[in-house]
Amino acid sequence: MTDELELTQDMKDAIDREGDPVLYEVTTLGIRTFARAVGYTNTKYYDEDAAQAAGHAALPSPPGYLGMPVWNPNKEPSRQPTFNNPFTRNLNGGTQVQPIQQVYAGDVLSAVSRITNLTLSPSKSLGKMLIRETETVYTRQSDGVVVAKTQGQGISY
Amino acid sequence: MVSAQNWNEVTEGQVFTLTEPMDSQRLVIWAAASGDFYQIHYDDDFAKGNNLPDIIVHGALKGMLVGRLLDEICGDTGKITNFGVSYRGMDPARQDLTVHATVTKKYEENGEHLLDLEVGVKQEDGSTETTPGTATISIPA
Repeated sequence: MTDELELTQDMKDAIDREGDPVLYEVTTLGIRTFARAVGYTNTKYYDEDAAQAAGHAALPSPPGYLGMPVWNPNKEPSRQPTFNNPFTRNLNGGTQVQPIQQVYAGDVLSAVSRITNLTLSPSKSLGKMLIRETETVYTRQSDGVVVAKTQGQGISY
Repeated sequence: MVSAQNWNEVTEGQVFTLTEPMDSQRLVIWAAASGDFYQIHYDDDFAKGNNLPDIIVHGALKGMLVGRLLDEICGDTGKITNFGVSYRGMDPARQDLTVHATVTKKYEENGEHLLDLEVGVKQEDGSTETTPGTATISIPA
């Protein structure tokens, strides 16, 4: 079925449309767990005294860490605009991060994503695949400042 | 750990690396940190049932390891302007992965001392590159 698939109008309409905002909480626990998982040894990511000695008012977020979405079992967060996707399997194709301002423990970020492009492409190993390019803008709720932008590439097949 | 660098002492072509073990405990901690609980990353039977040779390293973890290497090069006074990677292949767990960054361009712009770098992640065999990308950082001079 998908061999003959072209971009549907539904897919075309999803391009450039923004999804609903999703709140991300940046916590001391989240920063420490992220830093531990990635193997950071700089104590400013774990210890508030060390963070202050390095000039930070709170634990700073390591590069790329923008918190965790606020979990609600009755409303799973979905950042991206939805469309009817006939492919059921997904791969993460890539990530780009543009840090703009330092993020700290205690920040709450509003993340808004939009699909910047959708393309159908042949693949030797996966058959036909749908490549979804997205951009997400993270805005700190307390002052309305954009603190980071990320771009992602998702592959459905 | 890579030591913080001074722009004046860095040369084009210079290579920075860090090598990290990717055991199952590491992947479980990453699952908690990222919220990615897909079982191919920690459940052996589930991974093999999906035709994988072993549990596999999360792509995003590899991307953030690149971020850590850049952060260490920057030290406390430098900053990352941007970084990005493509996930071109899967890395089975229970091996060491080496994160690398090579300086491709050293320049000044708008008063900042910048480095462009090619980055990536290589498997234990030393040659299989699964996560190529690029980055730009600003470091003190």
